[in-house]
Amino acid sequence: MENKLSVRNLTVSFRTSNGRVQAVRGINFELAKGETLSIVGESGSGKSVTSKAILGILAGNAIIEGGEIIYDGKDLLKMSEKEFHAIRGDKIAMIFQDPMSSLNPIVRIGRQLTEAMILKGKARQRESRRCFNEYLKELKQNMTAAIAGDDKEKAAQLAKKCDDFNKFEYQHLKLEGTYRTAHEAALEAVDDIEALVFEMEKNEVKDASYRLKELVKLLKSSVHEYVVKEEADKLKALTTELESDIKTVKKQGTSYDAMIRRLKEADEILKRATAKEEPNFFCMGYYQTFSGKELPDKKDIGELNKYLRKYLDDNFMLDFIADAKKGMIYAAELSYKNKREAIDALKKYLPVFEKSELDEKESQEAVKILSEKVLATINRMEVVKDNLTYTFPTRLKSEVGRYFSSITKNKEEKKRYEKAKAKYDKLVNRGKTPEWKVVEAKLTDLDEVRDDICYQIKRMIDHYQVSLSAKDNRDFDAETEAGIDYLKENASGVVNKVTKQIAKAKAIKLMEEVGIAEPRKRYRQYPFEFSGGMRQRIVIAIALAANPDILICDEPTTALDVTIQAQILELINKLKRERHLSIIFITHDLGVVANMADRIAVMYAGKVVEYGTAEDIFYHAAHPYTWALLSSMPDLDTNEKLEAIPGTPPNMIYPPVGDAFAARNKYAMKIDFEQQPPMFQISETHHAATWLLHPDAPKVEPPKIIAERIARMQNRRENEDGEE
Amino acid sequence: MEKNKEKNFQKKSASSDEVLLKVEHLCQYFPMGGTELKAVDDVNFEIKKGEVFGLVGESGCGKTTTGRSIIKLYNITSGNVYFKGIRIAAGKRSYVNAIREAKKTYKEKMAAAKSDEEKQRLKKELDAIIAENKKKIKEAQYDQKNCDKEYSGKLVKELNEKYLPRLEKAQGEEKEKLNKEYKKELYKAKHTKLVTQIQMIFQDPIASLDPRMTIREIISEGLVIQGEKDKEILEKRVYEMLEVVGLVREHAGRYPHEFSGGQRQRIGVARSVIMNPDLIIADEPVSALDVSIQAQVINLLNDLREKMGLTILFIAHDLSVVKYFSDRIGVMYFGKMVELASSDELFKNPLHPYTRSLLSAIPLPDPIYEKKRKRITYNPLAEHDYSVDPPTFREIKPGHFVQCNQAEFDAYKKIIKD
Repeated sequence: MENKLSVRNLTVSFRTSNGRVQAVRGINFELAKGETLSIVGESGSGKSVTSKAILGILAGNAIIEGGEIIYDGKDLLKMSEKEFHAIRGDKIAMIFQDPMSSLNPIVRIGRQLTEAMILKGKARQRESRRCFNEYLKELKQNMTAAIAGDDKEKAAQLAKKCDDFNKFEYQHLKLEGTYRTAHEAALEAVDDIEALVFEMEKNEVKDASYRLKELVKLLKSSVHEYVVKEEADKLKALTTELESDIKTVKKQGTSYDAMIRRLKEADEILKRATAKEEPNFFCMGYYQTFSGKELPDKKDIGELNKYLRKYLDDNFMLDFIADAKKGMIYAAELSYKNKREAIDALKKYLPVFEKSELDEKESQEAVKILSEKVLATINRMEVVKDNLTYTFPTRLKSEVGRYFSSITKNKEEKKRYEKAKAKYDKLVNRGKTPEWKVVEAKLTDLDEVRDDICYQIKRMIDHYQVSLSAKDNRDFDAETEAGIDYLKENASGVVNKVTKQIAKAKAIKLMEEVGIAEPRKRYRQYPFEFSGGMRQRIVIAIALAANPDILICDEPTTALDVTIQAQILELINKLKRERHLSIIFITHDLGVVANMADRIAVMYAGKVVEYGTAEDIFYHAAHPYTWALLSSMPDLDTNEKLEAIPGTPPNMIYPPVGDAFAARNKYAMKIDFEQQPPMFQISETHHAATWLLHPDAPKVEPPKIIAERIARMQNRRENEDGEE
Repeated sequence: MEKNKEKNFQKKSASSDEVLLKVEHLCQYFPMGGTELKAVDDVNFEIKKGEVFGLVGESGCGKTTTGRSIIKLYNITSGNVYFKGIRIAAGKRSYVNAIREAKKTYKEKMAAAKSDEEKQRLKKELDAIIAENKKKIKEAQYDQKNCDKEYSGKLVKELNEKYLPRLEKAQGEEKEKLNKEYKKELYKAKHTKLVTQIQMIFQDPIASLDPRMTIREIISEGLVIQGEKDKEILEKRVYEMLEVVGLVREHAGRYPHEFSGGQRQRIGVARSVIMNPDLIIADEPVSALDVSIQAQVINLLNDLREKMGLTILFIAHDLSVVKYFSDRIGVMYFGKMVELASSDELFKNPLHPYTRSLLSAIPLPDPIYEKKRKRITYNPLAEHDYSVDPPTFREIKPGHFVQCNQAEFDAYKKIIKD
């Protein structure tokens, strides 16, 4: 599965007046495409800090001490603020916990919804244009190099082909754009009509005149060559009649019978129209641009499509694809060659970093050369980016930098510790008990850093060797197709502009989608006029407006009631399926997680203590903290006293030496107070950090309340299956 | 564990038949740009002494408004609230409406009347109706204003009976001492309000505590307002309360920001329990807390209820918690109570379609089941046809009420299980 985001060894702390609070202490996770990862834990466990680090919105006093967050071939922690603008909110969006503080109280909802859409729309247009041009240029170069060589005439031919593609692709999108608006208007009109007729039959319509007006607009815009054609006149007549109805509907006590009849007729026409086959605009675009002839008069759209397809394939497409494939293969070969060279270079310079003490000058030299070699292996024709290669140079550079800066930092830290310790001892000797403690000296282990550097290089070598061995299995046909799809996608980004009207329509649709009644009226209201649940829906709508890749939900339903919570969770799940979103879902409510998560990470005191699929965590939980979380929440059949977790999370200025949960853990052993447990692997997907899993540990059963619940759930599931 | 379980079951049935709070036709309307927002519309229920009554519903359905109307944070529009048999809140809208209605019907009747005599008779009838309703309005206004005065009057009378004879008998120094005590008690009695026996715990533990007051001041404020001036007594009571809610004495001198969420909510509980209330209105006390801390607060409330015999009106939207904690549950939808039953009955036999949709939305800690779960949606327009027969609140089974009309009533009767 394709990895969207990977977080490695992330460590974040905060400067406060009392000392350094270690909020996140080295966590690791990966997020695959179309997957939901839940992070569960109490407040103060570092869940929100992790998500904020991903989005680059940590508070000013935060220090990122180490680690990496890799997204789309970039390390988000080492990015400039300007680069981050392109990602934040657009590619990675966030739904915040408190809807009131994430909305601007003095700006209308509508403006807040559309603001980002319009701004991002312009930026995306530029971005798409850039991507399209660059990729086409790259393709042209590779094609020329692969086929033409020094043959100028051939090169010119290829260049023309690319230009042609550029030209008719835009024509295609223009055609398709107008069709889409009409088609969508028709679909929307069908929905509206059904809702309106339903309410009219019940005689309970709210602001009918306004809705009729909107409906008339939709009907008008749904008239299009390929949507409503034959029956266009009839529809137009109906539309004018409905327009005249708008006036009468304002008077009270009018009967809706005539209107219902008209609406139903229009509904039927539109239903027939939307069920029709869609013409192939891609082929049509080529035909219209280059044939110079009118479209052949064909009644059946299927036949027309076949004809156009054949025309395109004969004249252009097959040739173009074959050429593009050659270009692709050429680029891949080049990349393989560079990879082999890079492996040699990596192997050659590895000993530089394996010495017991690194030499600064030599190391920097090696970093420079290796970075160049690795960057040369990048094949820009690949649509799916190879994250490891892209981020290798920055990673290597920062690790090496860390090594040399740590040398001086360690000295300072030692000095500070000795000074503080002396002061403390002096006070104690005088018979006083100071309120503060001495913060342990935080020394960076230089050997560890050096091992990290070597590991990075070795990993790169392994990675290249794997990719070289997979060379024969590459499917260049599929890759060519993906490349052309990538071009099409970017072209559509250029053509589809976001104007104010479009943004408004889209916003209203989003508001409906997230379940806000009377969105047109609500569009003009201020945040304080909404209830908590409604406000949260607005926030979700804003987050979705940009159509992000990764959605971070920071306790999105904590303040909402069950029905709305269920609706919003369903909404998020639906969007995840439709848009292949990857979701990071942060919550403390395990009930919610069961519904949402594919995988769950349980966090405590800045560390991931258990990590596994939803089934692993709910049915075979292994960490005492997970047990405590599960048993402290009542379900519908709970009668016994709840098992609350005693005490509060530890003060992270002075993180405990051993397992952070030990003080609140009734299963704690002596070693828990002395040494931090490593991650034990339970199954392929399931890991937990607790000494209880050590082979020498005594056998401990999970609390009865959980075992009983699991048995009960299983019974109920079986019963229900039996009934079905 | 077993013992606990047993106790819990006993407790659930322990509530007596004495009605502590009775809410009759409670309506709370808010003016909203010309129209009125019917936040609570004709809600009826009773809370018996010693039970926990849960109120659930989606946000904006009027749960909180109901709670606040009972504690007289709002002046109710219509209906009555009885606490310990005394009317503590009354609205006059229903009487005003009755007068208007009567005037309208009688105007029509008068126009239709033939003889002067008949007209005279009708006018008399109308005047009688108007007079009666006006009297009721006056009564309502009087009760609304003076229920506390009457209650404190009663207390003063009791005090007089207790102290005056002793004062007469007493001599010299003893008399002076007794007199002092009497004056103090009298002052307290005069400042006591009936409504203080209803206390509230608020949803947001951060917003409901004054950041500039120490915990001691916050917890003792109610007593101070009531007239307790003795610092030693205040101190003692505060320490007592802190221990009851599981905090320690040292916390008294701190400020709210120095506490975690769960501790803050404990302070909120201590503040309301110090007044020795008979009824606590807990307005989503655990919604803003972490799961682990939620369990701490629920356990605390359960213990307090056992120890002090509290009656609790528990407003929440987390159905698992409400089910766990309440004896009876009322389900509200858009200002109306749609179903009311004992908690086991409600979860076994949910009748109203809204209740069913609510129950189908509860998330459970079971991933396999969750992924198959189908939520029932509720659309009042599609579910009910009230054009002919408007619904009323009917008892379908002893202790189980549903908002329905006759046709639905018959249908529900058929599906109900024993």
